[in-house]
Amino acid sequence: MQDIKGLGLFVACLAVPLVFVVMSERSAAARMTEASDAASEVPIASAAEDAYCTIGLKQVVRRVAGACGLLESGARGCKPTDAKSVASLTGDDFNALFKPLQNRAHIIQYDKDNVVLDDGGMKEVEESWAEKRGASFYFVVARASTDGDAAYNTDLSQQRAQAVYNHLQSKFTGDDDLKKVGLLWLGEEYAQLGQDFCNWSRSRDGVECTDKDINRSAFVAWIDCAI
Amino acid sequence: MTTPLSFDDNRPSGGQDYSYSAPPPSGGSGRMPLFIVLAGALFGALFSAISTSDFISHLDRQVHSIHCSFIPGAAAEIGESGCRTVMMSPYSSMFRDSLWGGMPIALLAVAVYAYLVMHAGRLLLANKPITKHDSLYLVAAALLPALMTVIYAYIAIVEIGAVCKLCVGVYVSSGAVLVGAVLAHVNAAPAPSSQLPMGQFGRQFGEGVLYVAVLAIFYALFAPTSPKSTQGCGTLVKKDDGSGIFIPMGNGKGTSAVAVVDPLCPACKGFDDRMRASGFYKKLALQSVLFPLDSACNWMVKDSLHPGACAVSEAMLCDREGAEAILDYAFANQENLRALAKKDRDSGQQNDPKLRALLEDKFPKVKGCLGSAKIKNQVNKSLKWAVSNALPVLTPQLFIGDKRVCDEDTDLGLEYTIAKMLEGGGASSGGKRR
Repeated sequence: MQDIKGLGLFVACLAVPLVFVVMSERSAAARMTEASDAASEVPIASAAEDAYCTIGLKQVVRRVAGACGLLESGARGCKPTDAKSVASLTGDDFNALFKPLQNRAHIIQYDKDNVVLDDGGMKEVEESWAEKRGASFYFVVARASTDGDAAYNTDLSQQRAQAVYNHLQSKFTGDDDLKKVGLLWLGEEYAQLGQDFCNWSRSRDGVECTDKDINRSAFVAWIDCAI
Repeated sequence: MTTPLSFDDNRPSGGQDYSYSAPPPSGGSGRMPLFIVLAGALFGALFSAISTSDFISHLDRQVHSIHCSFIPGAAAEIGESGCRTVMMSPYSSMFRDSLWGGMPIALLAVAVYAYLVMHAGRLLLANKPITKHDSLYLVAAALLPALMTVIYAYIAIVEIGAVCKLCVGVYVSSGAVLVGAVLAHVNAAPAPSSQLPMGQFGRQFGEGVLYVAVLAIFYALFAPTSPKSTQGCGTLVKKDDGSGIFIPMGNGKGTSAVAVVDPLCPACKGFDDRMRASGFYKKLALQSVLFPLDSACNWMVKDSLHPGACAVSEAMLCDREGAEAILDYAFANQENLRALAKKDRDSGQQNDPKLRALLEDKFPKVKGCLGSAKIKNQVNKSLKWAVSNALPVLTPQLFIGDKRVCDEDTDLGLEYTIAKMLEGGGASSGGKRR
């Protein structure tokens, strides 16, 4: 009798934890199978797509990216006469596309008849480059004031855009993202900036800003649109 | 007559004069020490069973609440606790390389306490006084959990730096069992002979081994397995470091591996601890890619999960040679660094000036580099690397060669998964780092 009791106790003390362990493991296995069939809810890393990425803006960016690649000379950008056809918009509508970028864009200002970046301009370009976040495209839109003839101003704005690109190249040599830079020069012919752009982040913040001053400039910004 | 499973009082039989006289029947307070042993063993079994249950629940590779209370059966808790820290530590189980999560120590404790319940119960059922030989074995058996208590309490306090309440319950139970066993020995009737009954001891010890072996074997047989642990969850599309954003960690020898980490992410700290404790840290040519979950630089997160992580990432990329030391510092001071950045942001200050000043003070090499356009650009490259590989927005992530270790395998199953991936040639495409 004593032996049977001892045997029963021996078996019971072993069986209870054994059943508990096996049942728990089977339950975990069932849950694992169930969970592996469920779709993951973790987002995937992707380029930025901000709310300001309207169809119109994307269209312009796509066209500039596509039509204004490397020119035969090896420089980047569009021929100025193409600017209107690239945008297919009036100058005001073109500028309106960029209004939502107020916190993202920088305006690099130049002296009259000058294409050289000053210290403030270089700093502003570097800062804007460092703010790329998830953007896919870097836009440089250079302009000239209406002083002088149109052909001269076209050339001036091209050199201003190129000056920005050259500085990026020298400062960020080998950076793959330099391929994402699109240059557009508008001369004095198209989409002149209004004085309201003087309130944007400028390389000459605090300095007097007239209609002409704001157009002796290159408008630079990373565009947060998945193009 | 004795059976292998019966309690043998080892009384002499025929032929020899052992001058043995049967001790008077013992009851009442004389059996109290055995009840103490029984109660201690029952509580020990209960506490370790709850701990085992918590461990097993994680074998489904999900996140679960765990029990963390001195009161058996109290509600389970989600989130960080000493119990979770201890459970996730490499000391909570053994054979981690060959079994997903390993064999939980708590399971072995269940087996030992179940055996002690059985043994004490049988002594009580025998309805006769126990002898010094019986009690000597009982003390020896009680010493095992007591010894493990000393070892594991030391590990918890010194190595892990966290104590789990359930474990304390087990420690107290083992103390009760030992006290009961010693009291039983003190009160035991004289031994029938001066010669130790080695046969009886051996048989009883064999029973204990059988308990442990049966539970361990069945645990291993029924442990859930998943082919994902060896196959991984995806591969790197663009594994090259074209922009110089990989940060070498460890000794740089072995199979190539990439860890995607956020220096201020608590899970990354835990992951780093497990990697170092696993021994694989020295077998992998591990490189880190920074993926700060901080909206100051990361557009993929709307709110900063870990404020300040962008600044710390910049510091690491500024001083690549000292990056491991910066990461260690960040891991050790995560809460303070996050709080510092949050304070700056709450007061409307951009760019975490206090945190940056602290980093420059601690790591003078980053002065002049931290916050520069060039280094912000590097952090951005790091994030873009995640985009080009379409990684999930979470940390930590580990790649052995170019195979991605599934997220559910980066905690309890880390050693098993790495071992299997290395065995299965998971790293073959990664090659060795030169």
